[in-house]
Amino acid sequence: MKRLKFEHRITALYLILGALWILFSDKLLGYLFSDIASLSRFQTFKGVFYVVTTAVFFYFFITKHLVKLRNTEKELENHKQNLTQLVHEKTKNLDEAIEALRKTNEKLNEKNKIINKQNTELKSTLKALKEMQFQLIQIEKMASLGILTAGISHEINNPLNFIMGGLTGLQNYIRESKIEDEKVELYLKSIKTGIERATSIMNGLNQLSRNNDELNEKCDLHAIIENSLAISKGQWKSNIEVIRQFAAYPILIPGNVGKLHQVFINLIVNAFQSIGDKGTVTITTETQKDKAIVTIADTGCGISKDKLSRITDPFYTTKEPGHGTGLGLSITYNIIQDHKGTLEFKSALKKGTTVTVVLPSKFI
Amino acid sequence: MGKVKILYVDDEAINLMLFQANLEKKYDILIAENPFTGLQHIAENKDIKVVVSDMKMPVMNGIEFILKARLLSSEVAYYILTGFEITEDIQEALNQGIIRRYFRKPFNIQEISREIENTITDYYEQQE
Ligand SMILES: Nc1ncnc2c1ncn2[C@@H]1O[C@H](COP(=O)(O)OP(=O)(O)OP(=O)(O)O)[C@@H](O)[C@H]1O
Ligand SMILES: [Mg+2]
Repeated sequence: MKRLKFEHRITALYLILGALWILFSDKLLGYLFSDIASLSRFQTFKGVFYVVTTAVFFYFFITKHLVKLRNTEKELENHKQNLTQLVHEKTKNLDEAIEALRKTNEKLNEKNKIINKQNTELKSTLKALKEMQFQLIQIEKMASLGILTAGISHEINNPLNFIMGGLTGLQNYIRESKIEDEKVELYLKSIKTGIERATSIMNGLNQLSRNNDELNEKCDLHAIIENSLAISKGQWKSNIEVIRQFAAYPILIPGNVGKLHQVFINLIVNAFQSIGDKGTVTITTETQKDKAIVTIADTGCGISKDKLSRITDPFYTTKEPGHGTGLGLSITYNIIQDHKGTLEFKSALKKGTTVTVVLPSKFI
Repeated sequence: MGKVKILYVDDEAINLMLFQANLEKKYDILIAENPFTGLQHIAENKDIKVVVSDMKMPVMNGIEFILKARLLSSEVAYYILTGFEITEDIQEALNQGIIRRYFRKPFNIQEISREIENTITDYYEQQE
């Protein structure tokens, strides 16, 4: 059965008691008293009695109910307090956990930073190693080539000498016998050209294997470049303009005067040869700290990317037979290496090539 | 005055033959296939004016040979032939005036001949 609410119960009880009292109290008084005087007197007490009785009754009834309520309320309060404390504790725990996490995160971030740094370091080391490897390969190539040429050069030059001596003898003989024949002239000329070409290859190879020369002569860069331009006159076609952007002051560097001439002759001749119709060759000189920097920029045919790595290889040439031995740049590279300098090419096909030579400028 | 006497030392027989064949009209050419024969010639022919020697030879190189030859005859003009680039030895000999010049192989006989001519002229001018 559904329990009635407290206020309903109390109201119902009051109504029932009141009703019963009204119905039966007069009857009860009738039984107890027969005289009117006492009856009317008790009639007054009857009201008081009812009020007192109901008051006592209600007092207990409400008190009982209130006690229950108060207990509940107290329990609730306790509960609430417990909860608050619990929440408080949990919050504190959470705060601690968050703090710990934050610290971990910070540490992780730091670790991450270190890893990133190490990563970049590794990358640059790898790059340096690759460059070094390339240089080592190049040096190795040159070293074995040097040993080879020293041997070959001697062996080839003797037979060349035989041909040369034989040719001289024949020329004298023909002159003395007064034989005049166009064909004979052609034959002799061909032999001579052959010897000359072979000799120039041998000379180039010899340059490659030389490495014991003085490297501490006073070299005037501008003078060397001017001389090299003069020596390269043969290749300086009239359609080529040379622009000099020299530093305003003289640049003196330690090195081997002869070899540095070779470097710039090779680079200038290459630049001249790269220009077909019309073009310019711009030569720039400057110094930076302990370095002298020379750039030779041409507006010639350029070099394709795949070929760029091969141009300093000995015998690599794209020129017609008799026009290039392909030794120019490998000699140049070697000389610059001996001078502790660097040689760098930037090129775009059909646009031109810029060669940068960096040489140490400090005398030791 | 007879022909000027020249000694040519080289371990390659063909070089010797050609040198002689090409220059024998002008000069009196002595040849030696090794430095020892060369030294012998110098000892026996005090009138040798010019000595041309190959650089690379077995046992003794050209400069070593010339240093020995100088002890026998210092009046002589010495020349070196090299099939290779100039070496430190050659540079040193040039600096010290032990040799007058060096020639590269393959050499041009006319060039050598011109050089010898100059030397001889110098020599006779000094004599006068
Ligand atoms: N300035 C340049 N412009 C375009 N191509 C170039 C230039 N310099 C070099 N090259 C390329 O590099 C090749 C190699 O050059 P290198 O100087 O070693 O030999 P070469 O010029 O062919 O012959 P050599 O120098 O012995 O006469 C050239 O044949 C050419 O193809
Ligand atoms: Mg070249």
